[in-house]
Formats: sequence, C-alpha cells, structure tokens
Amino acid sequence: MNIFDVVGPVMVGPSSSHTAGAVRIGYIARKLLAEQPRKVQINLYGSFLATGEGHGTKKAIVAGLLGMQTDDERIPMAFELAKQQGVDVSFGEANLKDAHPNTAQLILQGISGQTIEVVGQSVGGSRINIASIDGIETNFSGDYPTLVVHNQDGPGYVSAVSTLLTEQGINIAYMQLYRSNRGGDAVMVAECDQEVPQHVMERLKQVDGIGKVTYLGMMGDE
Amino acid sequence: MYHLISDIIRQSEENECVFWEIVQQADADERGVSKEESFETMRKMYQAMREADEHYDPKVRSASGMAGGAGQLLHEYNETGENICGDFVGKVMEKAIKMGESNACMHRIVAAPTAGSCGVIPAVFLVAEEMLHLSEDQMVEAMYVSAGIGSVIAENASLAGASGGCQAEIGSASAMAAGGLAYLQGGDAGQIADAAAFALKNMLGLACDPVGGLVEVPCIKRNVAGAVNALTSAQLAMAGIKSAIPADEVIDAMRRIGNEMPSNIKETSLGGLATSPTAQKRIV
Repeated sequence: MNIFDVVGPVMVGPSSSHTAGAVRIGYIARKLLAEQPRKVQINLYGSFLATGEGHGTKKAIVAGLLGMQTDDERIPMAFELAKQQGVDVSFGEANLKDAHPNTAQLILQGISGQTIEVVGQSVGGSRINIASIDGIETNFSGDYPTLVVHNQDGPGYVSAVSTLLTEQGINIAYMQLYRSNRGGDAVMVAECDQEVPQHVMERLKQVDGIGKVTYLGMMGDE
Repeated sequence: MYHLISDIIRQSEENECVFWEIVQQADADERGVSKEESFETMRKMYQAMREADEHYDPKVRSASGMAGGAGQLLHEYNETGENICGDFVGKVMEKAIKMGESNACMHRIVAAPTAGSCGVIPAVFLVAEEMLHLSEDQMVEAMYVSAGIGSVIAENASLAGASGGCQAEIGSASAMAAGGLAYLQGGDAGQIADAAAFALKNMLGLACDPVGGLVEVPCIKRNVAGAVNALTSAQLAMAGIKSAIPADEVIDAMRRIGNEMPSNIKETSLGGLATSPTAQKRIV
C-alpha cells in the first residue's frame, strides 16, 4: 500500500476513475504509439459512455494522448489544444462485449503513420489496466517499464527477448503471452524493473518473425 | 509495517516515537526512499492542497450546471458574522465546500482519500494551521497521521464508494482528518485512534447515491459534513472521552456494512437521491 495513493494523487477533478484514470489511459496509449498522434478515434463503453460527459472523460483521454499527466491544469482545454496541434479527434461508442464498465478503445495514427489500437480500463482510484493492443488481449497496469512485442506465434521468441534483456541486466517482473490462434499473431508483454534502452528495441525488431515492438517507459515524455 | 491502528499504537510505544513517525518509516521502507525524501513528498501533497484552496474560482460552474458558486455564498455569509458556528467552524465549512466545487469543475485537487472527498482534510488542516498558529512541518506530520489511518481503512475495508458506499469516502476522509487534528492539538496515539473511531462511527452506513453519476450532488456538501464531523470527533477525544468500540473494530464494521449494502446505493446511481423525482428531472 503506497500512502500516496491514499493521500494523493494530485489530480484534476472530478473523478479519480473517470478523469484521472482516463488521462492515464490516453497517456499510456500515446507512449505505446511512441509519437505525436495525428488522428485519434476514441470509442467509449459502459459508464465511461454514460457519465463521461459530466466527468470530462473525453477531454481527459485527449489530454493524455497529448502527453499530459493527471495533474495538468490544461486538461479542461484538451480539445482546443488538440486542434492547435493539428490532431484530428473523433468519438464513438465502443462495440465491445462484457467489457469492464469503464472502458475506452483508442484507435491511433501517429504523425509518421504508425498505428495502434489500445483498449484501456479504469479499474479504481486512478489505476488502469491495458486490456488489449491491436486486438490481442493484454493485462498490464503501466506502472512498470513495459515492453510489448508483437511476433508470429512460434518457439524461440520468449527466449530471444529474455536473452536480450538479460544481457542488459534488466529483470522481468511480470511476463505474459497472448496469441490470436496457434501459429497466428502473438503478443508478449514484459513488465520490467529497469528501463529498456532504445537499441534493445532496435535489435528485437530485426529478429525474424517479430513485427512491431512498442515500449512504455517511465521517464518523462518521449 | 502496520496493518491495524492498534499496530501503529503498539509500535509507537515500543519504539518510543509518535504515531506519524511509524507511518513515515513504513513509507520509507516500502518505497525504498529516505525518511527525508518521504517527508518532502508529503509536504508537496500538503502544499498542493493549499494551492488548490487558494485557486478557488467563485465564477466557475461544472459541465452539468449543478455545481459552483456555493463556496462564494458561504464566504459572503461568513463575512457578515451571522454564521453561529463561529469563525473556526465557519472557515472549515467554507474551505470544504470550495474544494468540492473546484473538483467538480475540473480544477486541480489532491485526492484524499478520493476526489469526491477531497475537501475534508484540507478544510480541517488549513484552518487549523492558521487558527492554531502551527508550522508547515507540523501539518506534514498530521498528513502522515491521516495517511496511516487511511491506509489501515484501505487494507481492512475500502476507500471506494463503488465498493463501500459514501462511508468509505467521506467517512474515511473524516476519520483521517479527525485523527490528524487530534495530533495537532497534542493528542497521543490513543486519542488519535479515538478521534478517528468517533468520526467513522458517525458516518457508518452512508450511501453513495450521486445524482447523474456525477461527483456533485450530494458529494460536494458532504465534504462540509465530513469536515465538521472531524472537528467535533477530535474534540471528544481531546476531552478524554474514549470510544466504546476501538477504531479497528469500527473499520471492520464499516467493511461489513459496505458488503451488505445493496449495489443500488454504491455509486451506480440506481437508488437513493439519484432516483429522486427532482434528480430524474434534472438529468436528461
């Protein structure tokens, strides 16, 4: 129990789950995109959709996508700031089945054409869970430096990632594997105790069968 | 490490230190930081509360139109000298409602323990600092007292309206503020625990039934109730009155009541005030 979750966080109101949690979903999605977004489609579900307006949930998600943290006083102006930065924002309803009541689906396109689809859930307080990336189930909080590797389902990929991390003295705190189907698209999520350097990501991308490598660092904005 | 209020009391006796130091030491151990670093982080939280209070905007209104302006009305009323609660309590009421409104209007606040209950602790502490002529360091120490009480509630019951009703939010904030105030008035660990127990007992069973699902009605005004309840609870403890039920057992009762509470009145807006005819008319 971190006492600064009890007395804190410093945040822009009104709701830790519907505002602060929503900022964090946007912020982490932007980090996973790893560049300034150009076009974002935000689809809301459940309580986010029903009561999001009064809680500023939409503004909060956009603020996070622009790189703001939960205590940023510019959150209420997020729409105007997005416009100024030339980010095209649109909203809709998320068509999900039996999802967590506070869920947002973010479909992002970056300035260099990178794309990512992230489903985030606000699970209580300002804590969140990233429930899927590019349609493949995941389950991580964004509290640790997190490496997300998209690979073809098959043997050797876990060992390739763990070997590279070991060489750098990086400890894996939690590791999860997901796949769409046998031999199909797979996602590996490694939550680490240390930051993963850029060159490790570059080397991973060169491994045959590894497609996209996304990384969520804890240090400032990219 | 501590899990109960009684753990904190026992450890402070064993180590010949005070309540807040046990909480500080546990934080330093848990996060792997020095006691000084921990203290400065806590100071930032207190300073953020003060800034939030100072930045109250009397003109701002929430998106729903239900929240805003009440803090200014109370301020003007207090200025007339007609508030029979007196200067101290009048100021506490004013700060509590202002913070609740700032939160509803998307201003920066400190969730303590939650955003909906963010007015209780700063209202009590900022006024105590001013009226009792306390130093900022003393206020930071009191913040640890509140954090310790809140952590025990989080571990053994809940701080979320969705799982425990409003007793878990305003009730917890009130207990945290009461314990902190007892410390600031020179109370020992036992009096801190009793102050927290009194405050929480008065809030047991409180429903979380926000109109339109928004953190506005009745949340904002309940911050006033939680803050004033903290004041009176601390005074009972400082008078030497003992809680018939120890703080840990009150917290356990809160957990059981929260579990037995129907989901309609646990932040779903399916019951209570949220389904009153006026609320239904207001929210379209």
